[in-house]
Amino acid sequence: MSDLGKKLASIAFDELGADYLLAMREEHGNVAPVMLARGQDPGEIRLDVPYQLVNILSNIYPWLKDGKVAVVTRRCDEKALEEFFKRELFDPRRILKIGLACSKEQVAKCRCSDPVPAKTHIGEPQKAMEKDELSEKLMAMPPEERLRFWAYQFKKCNKCFACTLTCPVCFCDECILEEKTFVPEPGIPPGMSFHLIRAYHLADKCIECGECERSCPAEIPLLTLRKLLAKDVKEIFGFAPGDRKTVSPLLTVLEEGCNEC
Amino acid sequence: MSDFNPTILAFCCNWCSYAGADLAGVSRLQMPPNVHVVRVMCSASVKGEYILKAISQGVDGVLVLGCHIGDCHYMTGNHRTAKRIPVVQKLLKDVGFDERRVRLDWVSAAEGEKFQRVITEFVEEIKGLGPNPVREVMS
Amino acid sequence: MSVEHVLTTCPYCGTGCYFFLQVVDGRLVGVVPCKTDEISLGRLCIKGYNAHAFVQHPDRLKHPMIRIDGELKPVSWDDALGRFAEELRRIREKHGPDSIAILASAKCTNEDNYLFQKLARAVVGTNNVDHCARLCHASTVTGLLYSFGSGAMTNTVPEFEKADCILVTGSNTLEAHPLIGSRILRALDRGAKVIVIDPRDTPLSRLATIKLNQISGTDIAWINGMIKLIIDEGLYDEDFVNARTEAFEELKEAVKGYNLAKVESITGIPGQMLAEAARVYAKSKKAMVAYAMGVTQHSNGTDLVKALANLSMVTGHIGKESTGLNPLRGQCNVQGACDAGGLPNLFPGYQRVDDKSARAKFEAAWGVRLPEKPGLTLTCAIEEAAAGKLKAMVVFGENVMLSDPDLNHVEEALKKLELLVVADIFPTETIKFAHIVLPAACYAEKDGTFTSTDRAIRVLRKAVDPPGEALPDWQIACDIGRRLGSKGFEFSSSAQIMDEMASVTPIYAGIDHARADNTVLRWPCPAKDHPGTRILHTQKFTKGLGTFAPVHHSPPAEETSEDYPLILTTGRNLFQYHTGTMTRRSPKLEREAPEPYAEVNRADAKRLGVSDGERVMVSSRRGSIALKARVTERIIQGSIFIPFHYAEAAANRLTNAALDPDSKIPEFKVCAVRLEKA
Repeated sequence: MSDLGKKLASIAFDELGADYLLAMREEHGNVAPVMLARGQDPGEIRLDVPYQLVNILSNIYPWLKDGKVAVVTRRCDEKALEEFFKRELFDPRRILKIGLACSKEQVAKCRCSDPVPAKTHIGEPQKAMEKDELSEKLMAMPPEERLRFWAYQFKKCNKCFACTLTCPVCFCDECILEEKTFVPEPGIPPGMSFHLIRAYHLADKCIECGECERSCPAEIPLLTLRKLLAKDVKEIFGFAPGDRKTVSPLLTVLEEGCNEC
Repeated sequence: MSDFNPTILAFCCNWCSYAGADLAGVSRLQMPPNVHVVRVMCSASVKGEYILKAISQGVDGVLVLGCHIGDCHYMTGNHRTAKRIPVVQKLLKDVGFDERRVRLDWVSAAEGEKFQRVITEFVEEIKGLGPNPVREVMS
Repeated sequence: MSVEHVLTTCPYCGTGCYFFLQVVDGRLVGVVPCKTDEISLGRLCIKGYNAHAFVQHPDRLKHPMIRIDGELKPVSWDDALGRFAEELRRIREKHGPDSIAILASAKCTNEDNYLFQKLARAVVGTNNVDHCARLCHASTVTGLLYSFGSGAMTNTVPEFEKADCILVTGSNTLEAHPLIGSRILRALDRGAKVIVIDPRDTPLSRLATIKLNQISGTDIAWINGMIKLIIDEGLYDEDFVNARTEAFEELKEAVKGYNLAKVESITGIPGQMLAEAARVYAKSKKAMVAYAMGVTQHSNGTDLVKALANLSMVTGHIGKESTGLNPLRGQCNVQGACDAGGLPNLFPGYQRVDDKSARAKFEAAWGVRLPEKPGLTLTCAIEEAAAGKLKAMVVFGENVMLSDPDLNHVEEALKKLELLVVADIFPTETIKFAHIVLPAACYAEKDGTFTSTDRAIRVLRKAVDPPGEALPDWQIACDIGRRLGSKGFEFSSSAQIMDEMASVTPIYAGIDHARADNTVLRWPCPAKDHPGTRILHTQKFTKGLGTFAPVHHSPPAEETSEDYPLILTTGRNLFQYHTGTMTRRSPKLEREAPEPYAEVNRADAKRLGVSDGERVMVSSRRGSIALKARVTERIIQGSIFIPFHYAEAAANRLTNAALDPDSKIPEFKVCAVRLEKA
């Protein structure tokens, strides 16, 4: 048992009183997501590979009859969990968080503006990144050039649905992107509506974990697209997702005295 | 772009704006013929997705017309619309479209003239913007 | 409560992506990509993400069945295998071993395939063993064996992204090999030049630096045209040609007549554009060629492959990092099924059956005398069955009743067989003609290895139990081998089978399950301490000197006529896989591409008065099918495209079984058809 494994098991089972631990470890020369029961050898735990554990948990959760699960959570995972709690999709009493502070490299890769978990159990908290270079470059371009940039990116799409399948906050049972009404193109690439609708759908949910961008075989800068819209939503409504106590502004009425009318 | 004849989609709520359009019609107010009117029960039933699909498919401009705030047949339906449309506009801007291709306005059943004005202005504006570039850039 | 993430290999195309199957209490609930996998880089295509969907489908075959009074009835394994052995024995005694053919499978593991061919050769006593590589890359194997001495990808999948130029021809890479396509996109994003030459517009060609559309079946003309221009302009690699190749003068002579004007008149590719493509390819430092069925599935497929080999050798674009000639293999284990000897003329590891010393080696290893005459190919076996000479066929995991050309003829052939045994996972179209049906375990239910298109050994790990009484194919093969009295089938795990295969297959000598478990090994891997080989032909070609082959353009076997004025070309789409047995039972995949269609050029459609979505009838000299027209710019005028996945409008009712003389691959890519309103 490695030191990290020992530490993690002790936090999950002794400190937090969990029945299961969801983390990652080395298996067959690769790093695998792993769900351990109390007492199982955690083996060679590896937390440097950014698996989207909340998404993985959401696949398993409906089958979990009882018990508490401790999940290794980065700050973005915490926010994703909040969105689950908000929709009552997870029982907050059954999900326990083991805070993981992302490494400097990971923060840089995600251009992350909010990298520190509420409570850090593992890792050294790092400074947030102030800006996303690509976002700034794009918004400084003339719009026609920006449209050409995105059109080229979207034309690389081969409709694997990874951006929705690996997304922790894609909650719909029936995906609108599978409907011909909204994405009418037969075959690939899907038209622009696929990407715009997806971005819009997540306007009040996306917690900027970047999993869509990491999973995209065409390497479309999806996180940048998300960051652009998140900035807009913040500017218009002062709202950012990831807190179970707040309500999406798209679901509420206008405030009195508002100047929209 | 004098020979450019834009294709424009106007979603009109059943209770106010569609009636306003009717009034404009029976009053024989002259309007440009570029507008396809889609009657919806409430402006709030115009999902952002509809607008995004229309723009993605090459429609040159989308107009969403509803009751004035406070007059909604469903009390606060148009509040939702009022919040939704700016998000759609910003998203379009972020990917390089002109956000003026989507406009939200309020037209009551009594405002035939306003309907005429909104339509005319919007068609002029879209004519100024030129054709929706989506087909060309995605081909 | 148990939750497992089982690392295994995708059962679809030959790219060989790893992923995790999520198993909760024996139930498959999803697929998670493996982020540390060097092939997939933690990405998958839509088929990969849905690879769990068919596994526990209610249609799975669960019990062995025997046809009694025209109907398949469930029986015990003992009865089914007893009957199987008894019938095989009877037919062998009455008609001789060569009246029996075994079809191995590109969807089964290396271990399964090794046993299938051993069963044919060592137990039945015939070399009549083949599999669907005959239908996809047989011409690659024959062509590249001639030119280089080895018929596989010369480079690895990750190398694509570091190339400066990638020439893609006859491959719809983004749809058929999405994760290889992803590497090409990475190269493109980096600024590499991508040249796509294809009669169809593919998703990749629309992003390509240079896109050329040739008329189907005219490829040798443009390749020779390129070679001539490269030689004429002094862009060829003289040092490489002198040091590493032979027969350059013959090549020069052969391409002499292919000037740009002539090539343009044959292929329809504007001369100047072809010249530009040739220059870009020749001048690039690291240039890769990727090709697939658009090249191989022609009645001159072997020549076509040799022509591409000429092109890479003349420019010296071979044997270096990110530089080579790469046939993209289309099935999870088609490379491995060839490696394991599922071919009528080759033992495992491409050792010839008519080579005395190779035969002596296998005779010693297996302790039996082996037949020396090369056996029947899959396509010839169908012929022989139709002629009444082949009496029994044992089919492991293939659906010949949808995948083979000229299906009406295949149907006749299958009906004539005295014994047709099919081992499969679903009730396929072929099973309708079977006398004995054996339920097999699928990829998620067994251990073993696949060999991916870039020669990497990929490991399958059992995630769930097979349904009902289904068994892994190697266990079925072992049982039948034992029942036929052989002692060479005493295996208790697939790892043991790999050990035996490695002991007789020099290119696999260093491979075993323990090593493959945690490292990526690519053959040739001649010793247990050998790290495997990423790039082939680096110092010399497998056969020594590379051989230029003087090849010439010849028209396809069937040309258009007044009655059949259009060229039909067939292929895949992204969402379906082959005969659809698995993908059509995966709801998300079926939803994306639920029905057959024919892609028709807008101008042709207008001329024929056909509109988008309208039902049309497509007929060839062999049959006709009804399906929807998809009016598009994606295909050139004069051609139509139909995917071959759909049983309800099987494209292979139309295709021509004209065979390439060397490799016996059928001409799936060209036949003459007529299209009319239904």
